[in-house]
Amino acid sequence: MSKGWTGRIIQKHADGRREGDYFSVHVDFVLLPDPTFALLLSELKELGGRIWDKEKVLVTVDHFAPPSTVERANIAKKVISYAADEKLPHCSVYQGICHQLLVEGPWLTPGMLVLGADSHTTTAGALGCLATGMGSTDILYALMTGRTWLKPPEAVRIDLKGKLLPSIMGKDVILELLGRFGEGGFLYQALEFYDINEAIPMDDRFAICNMVVEGGAKNGLFHPDKITKKYLKERDGHSNRWENFTDEEPDYAKRLELDLSSLKPKVALPHSPARAVDVEEAKGEVMDQIFIGSCTGGRLRDLELTARILKKRKIAPGMRLLVTPASQRIYKEAIEKGYVKTIMEAGGVILNPSCGACGGIDKGILGTEEKCLSTSNRNFQGRMGDPSSQVYLASPLTAAASALTGRITDPREVM
Amino acid sequence: MGLQEIISGRVWKLGDHVNTDVLHPSSYFSLDAERVEEGIMEGMERLGTALKRQSLEDGLIIVAGENFGCGSSRETSVRGLRHFGVRGVVAASFARIFMRSLVNLGIPTLECREIQSLVRDGDRVHLNFKNGWIELEGGKCISFSPLDLHVKKILEAGGLIPYLRREKDGI
Repeated sequence: MSKGWTGRIIQKHADGRREGDYFSVHVDFVLLPDPTFALLLSELKELGGRIWDKEKVLVTVDHFAPPSTVERANIAKKVISYAADEKLPHCSVYQGICHQLLVEGPWLTPGMLVLGADSHTTTAGALGCLATGMGSTDILYALMTGRTWLKPPEAVRIDLKGKLLPSIMGKDVILELLGRFGEGGFLYQALEFYDINEAIPMDDRFAICNMVVEGGAKNGLFHPDKITKKYLKERDGHSNRWENFTDEEPDYAKRLELDLSSLKPKVALPHSPARAVDVEEAKGEVMDQIFIGSCTGGRLRDLELTARILKKRKIAPGMRLLVTPASQRIYKEAIEKGYVKTIMEAGGVILNPSCGACGGIDKGILGTEEKCLSTSNRNFQGRMGDPSSQVYLASPLTAAASALTGRITDPREVM
Repeated sequence: MGLQEIISGRVWKLGDHVNTDVLHPSSYFSLDAERVEEGIMEGMERLGTALKRQSLEDGLIIVAGENFGCGSSRETSVRGLRHFGVRGVVAASFARIFMRSLVNLGIPTLECREIQSLVRDGDRVHLNFKNGWIELEGGKCISFSPLDLHVKKILEAGGLIPYLRREKDGI
């Protein structure tokens, strides 16, 4: 069995039932963002279903936050009313993007098995959880039974060695891996990261795990270490609730190594996150808009480094810089630390935390043939607006540097 | 309901890495089935197809390349395909969430690489579950990887919700 920690977590959650390659497993927590939760509500009611454990679900209104059409307002209303009627203890309206709220809250600790009705649920793997996304019907099954069926994936151990250079962020690490292995390069695998020098801050780990799904992986997790411990301690004072990680190292189907100190800032060209090249190769491309935000690029360190680049400077004439903090908590902290003021003085516009611009839902939609450099996770055709528009992906550092010049710019030139 | 022995339809051929944002643009996310179905029409437009409109009446079998259905988990893409008359999907490989959602809604997913070069849009094909092969236009048969037992049980129930009902009844 070359199934890594992921395989062990599955084994520890198994209830003994097996069909073919699939094991029936208990679920520790379920994330329910507004649109995909709304999609299963009528069936849940029809089946007379009750959520198996109300303490173990987080409902978020973050995609339609606030709603931009009557239809979306009614979808959000359904979700909010259901949560109120059922007295769900954890329902968050407009407080941030679900994947950020899930890791800010007190619920997750290493070794847990977490599902979400959104593909980027993999984000929570940065805390050492087995976290993965599923469609609404799978989530409905999990809500009613407290279980799901999982096929243990093949595990790949990825050793991240060396130190991160000041110009490199988690986004560059994951784009490098996607560029090397391709869009389906990790299909149905578990990626398990070992940060050998404990060099990667937690916010960057979230960005990395968020995007493992762009390579087709089922999940990505960081082997818990001092950084994990510190994060959990600062979050709620508990740093010792570790489960399922022992000294006995599991087997892996494959091992990879990445020297962090050799990385250059990366840019993914339209229309695939795996079309990643070194920034030099994309340099000079003129942009209409820069978007810094989303569940992979709107955390505090992202805003801090954005502000560092923009300090006492102005963005290029005609450039539109949109910045979305990933949660209200991050937003508030960014105000307190002065990042928001710096970004605004440079000419940036701050939007409220939501999935809006990244998913082409609202605010920041691209028009015909417009080009946008985004710190989000997907640049599929039409993702942010018109099918003729083009989205490039990069780190917040590269995005902020590009906002200054109006063209894709190597952040090392302005640091 | 349940898994038929033979499923027939016209081929809608797609390439590698077709993602759900293209197949079903997010602006078509809705709780209204008709609106969701319109999203598939838009996706078809964006992806391009030589399929004729009347072929749709015969039911569709998607034949896709690698990593089919990557991207967002929004199940509206799969619900849209089901309303649109997609009866089965054959791909070189599937993105995992998409594959689960197809099976959960009772649409069989078959893995087969060979078929890509052998079919065109609009060809009539038959997925034969009894014999484990796909019969192509002209009569040639190619085999597909056998269905996993769990996947088969869900398909035989007609999807994950009927499977859940059976499970609850202790069948």
